[in-house]
Amino acid sequence: MPHGMEIIDMKKRAEPDFQSSEVWSKVTGKAVYGSDLKLPGMLYGKIVRSPHPHARIKKIDLEAAQKITGVRAFLVAAELPDKPYGIVVDDELPLALDRVRYIGDEVAAVAAVDYETAAKAVRAIRVDYEPLPAVFDPREALNPDAPQLHEQFRGNLAWERNLKRGNSDQAFREAEVVVENRFSIPAVHSTYLEPTVCVAVDDPYEGLIIHTAVQSPDLVREIIAKVLERPLSKVRIICPVMGGGFGGRVYGNLKLYILSSLLAIKTGRPVKMKLTREEEFLVGRPLISAEMHLKMAFKRDGTILAREADIVTDNGAYSAQAPWVSKTLSERNDSVYHIPNIKTRVRLAYTNKIPTGQYRAYGNQAANFATESLLDMAAENLGLDPLELRLKNCVKTGDTTVHGLQIKSCSLSECLQAAAEEIGWHKRKEGRGYGISAAIHSNGSLVLFKNFRGASALARLELDGRVSIFSGEQDYGQGTHATFTLIAAKALGLNPDLITVYSRDTLSTPHSIGALGMRQTTIGGKAVQLAAERLRELIVQTAADLSEVPVMMERGILKSSSGRIIELSLVAYHHHSLTSGLSLVGEGRYVPAPSAYDETGYGNIAVTYSFAAHGVEVEVDKTTGAITVHKIVAAHDSGKIINHISALGQVYGGATQGLGMSSYEGYIFEEGRVVNTSLAEYRIPTSLDVPVIVPLFIETEDPEGPFGAKGLGEIVQIPVLGAVANAVADAAGVRVTDLPITAEKVFRLLSGWECEA
Amino acid sequence: MSYVKAANLQEALNLLKTSTPRPRVIAGGTDLFLQDWPGCLIDISFLDDLKIIEEKDEVLEIGSGVTHAMAAGSDLVKYKATALAEACTMVGSPQIRNMGTLGGNVINAAPAADAAVALVALGAEGVLIDCGNSIRRMPVDKLYAGYNHSVVDCGSEILLKFVFEPCKPDEGSAFVRFAARRALALPMVNAAARIRIKDGLISAVHLVVAPVKPAPTRLLKTEAKLCGKPVGEETWFEAEQLAAGEAEVRGSLLRCSADYRKHLVGVLAGRVLRTAALRALERKV
Repeated sequence: MPHGMEIIDMKKRAEPDFQSSEVWSKVTGKAVYGSDLKLPGMLYGKIVRSPHPHARIKKIDLEAAQKITGVRAFLVAAELPDKPYGIVVDDELPLALDRVRYIGDEVAAVAAVDYETAAKAVRAIRVDYEPLPAVFDPREALNPDAPQLHEQFRGNLAWERNLKRGNSDQAFREAEVVVENRFSIPAVHSTYLEPTVCVAVDDPYEGLIIHTAVQSPDLVREIIAKVLERPLSKVRIICPVMGGGFGGRVYGNLKLYILSSLLAIKTGRPVKMKLTREEEFLVGRPLISAEMHLKMAFKRDGTILAREADIVTDNGAYSAQAPWVSKTLSERNDSVYHIPNIKTRVRLAYTNKIPTGQYRAYGNQAANFATESLLDMAAENLGLDPLELRLKNCVKTGDTTVHGLQIKSCSLSECLQAAAEEIGWHKRKEGRGYGISAAIHSNGSLVLFKNFRGASALARLELDGRVSIFSGEQDYGQGTHATFTLIAAKALGLNPDLITVYSRDTLSTPHSIGALGMRQTTIGGKAVQLAAERLRELIVQTAADLSEVPVMMERGILKSSSGRIIELSLVAYHHHSLTSGLSLVGEGRYVPAPSAYDETGYGNIAVTYSFAAHGVEVEVDKTTGAITVHKIVAAHDSGKIINHISALGQVYGGATQGLGMSSYEGYIFEEGRVVNTSLAEYRIPTSLDVPVIVPLFIETEDPEGPFGAKGLGEIVQIPVLGAVANAVADAAGVRVTDLPITAEKVFRLLSGWECEA
Repeated sequence: MSYVKAANLQEALNLLKTSTPRPRVIAGGTDLFLQDWPGCLIDISFLDDLKIIEEKDEVLEIGSGVTHAMAAGSDLVKYKATALAEACTMVGSPQIRNMGTLGGNVINAAPAADAAVALVALGAEGVLIDCGNSIRRMPVDKLYAGYNHSVVDCGSEILLKFVFEPCKPDEGSAFVRFAARRALALPMVNAAARIRIKDGLISAVHLVVAPVKPAPTRLLKTEAKLCGKPVGEETWFEAEQLAAGEAEVRGSLLRCSADYRKHLVGVLAGRVLRTAALRALERKV
């Protein structure tokens, strides 16, 4: 048992734990990762990157590099399509054309017989730059006289949203208590174990094939086809086993896929490209940093009246998913409590820094940190117990929130009480600090792609009587395959060992949005349930046809009314011979109704929502400010839990990552240069830093999810931030409002020293 | 690139003399692996001569090839050079501690190398042999040439061992560190002390902190003022003030600000002296 983890009483649960057999291939080192891939004739690519945060490219001189033996091809922007692409905003080119906009920006690419030769060629390429004035602070970037990054985005404004619900001006006028503060979080990397790697193959017959582990292969395929002007059906993504993603790999590294594809096209050979760890930190797409000015209005009895926010998020040089993340960051958290009046301004600013993207929880954790901190400040002001303040205002089943979210199942109030009880809220230990925090997170999205809201799956009866499930969703370690296996097993009444889940290949699996927005179990799993149930119907029909009498299927066993047991393989063969080779396939289509989502963004954005409340116990050494987190209690409403062992894994990992964000992690910049580009200096918690984590599942029966289940993966990370911030403030008597909460920051506040900028 | 595992010390010295291109000694390799590799490596990590931990004629000898794990697990080190055992438990990760050697920790010359800080506090000297078989001895802090530079020439000489007087019954030593996480983080400050208590008074003390200068740094003024002071909270409080006042530190974007580091020097000096003194007192009984 790893340090800090507690054994949950397994005997109290009816369902057994299930570990899909692919876990064993991972722990025995047999799983094939992207790094392991090697194809005949394969070349290796490397990238020339800008050393300047902002500069004009005057000249790229390839001459010396061309003389190096073993170099096969070069790419520079002049020969490439010059139509910008992007995920939300089209502002990126495969290679920088005339200007570089951050340190790490891709300038040229090389393919050679091995990485060493490619690296040598990269060093031999001479690029003349003319440095330009750069801007690093997002608020400064929004000033009219700031250096401009993109002609088409004047004022460095990549995206903006002004949102009003109710009448917050009036609510603030009528308020009895008002609290406000400024909060910030730095950019954070999801720090997956395996740096991004891909192998691109341009096959004259099959088309472009990219082998890479990515969370949303179908979304990536669409972008690649568009950028490279290839027919969609001639672009295929095959995903090897993924060494972690945590939301940071929804789109993977598009730049790497595009450049390796272009090199493969140019050379006619497979091309492998792999980021080093340093490159991951330099050019990966970390979660946006944010500066949040928050103000809340209350009645004296603790009723929340209104919330105003002025948020600036740091896009970096290009957009990736930052607009979507900024939207979630500025909005989702508003639905944890009843807040009738809202006024929000959020601006996403271009700066000459690393382009940003997303990480588990999509910015919701930043809002949690700010809002939950502010709520504790309000509780102090109001003279109320922070727990009582939350219980008074939190949402419940049947509610429609301020942004129109329809809450179909919710045990948030029970989660808050359970987390408080378990952490010892009312039985405080001397010298310890306690904090609590709550969260909501949506399951899938009805509005991200309005015409693609659900998921589909296929369940195929094999000739040997086993069942194969084909899904476009992704298992990248979070246990999706195991969960889908259990869902299909339950729907069919079969032993899970008879079921295999296939995903990870855009050619053979149904189109999907992929592993994002907590949609795997709830949305993808629902499709699997429907597919398996359909297959069951087909099996019964076919068996009846075969035996010419009515047939029943119970606990996976087919029995005719005459009492005969019919083997599943017999049914499969029967259909096989009837159709000359087709298999029995159950199609599962989960198509949620469209949302009445208006132009202000009001409406139900997801099929359902998960909830959580965390309690944290800490100790602060006031002579140094050092913080010891002793315990995290994670109480979750994720509907009915399908597979406890996967769920526990999600809680341990997610809470640890939340602790990383609250207390350890963050990009450090010096004049636009990332200073901490190694795992030694980008500090995630080690096993010694992880406290006791107690998962509690306060189950609800969700009407939408498969067998009442809801998502868990992302929401786990969210409440840790607010709960740690509040616990440290409780223990130290001072509040750190800029993450990460470090010993030095606590000590400076305790000593009344000036704080670092 | 060539890599040779030396069978014995003499062979290693001969190889240093004769190999081309210019060779470099490798032991645990935990730091060398991260640098550009030289064309020729002479591996001395298998030499038993360099793995001794023994007490001879009132001298504790610890071979340069002793790993951090070996030092941390040695009863002799734990009892007679507690600061070193403590420091060695805190270096890197279990893998690093199993591979990395004390000699490497010192020769890599990181300013706040944990084992080096403890060795300086214990008053250790390094014993070196060059390929002409001549031997020289130097105090550990004098083995530093500058930031991350050692005076030891790994192309022509071998650090054999560290030697120092083991702690006597009236002595105690200790090591503490303060870092951003509990493992695998360079310290904001680390400190080690060796202290002798006579009739309730401090009769001798070494107090070392890092990172202050390129080498682990003895706070000589603080040491001098502490001598003769009674063991007790008042003295430790004074030591905090003195140490923080004496150490001239720098801030770093990755670690901490200078003023906070200065404060930590004081806090850690007080803590390490208190612990070392308690050990000296407990030992007497």
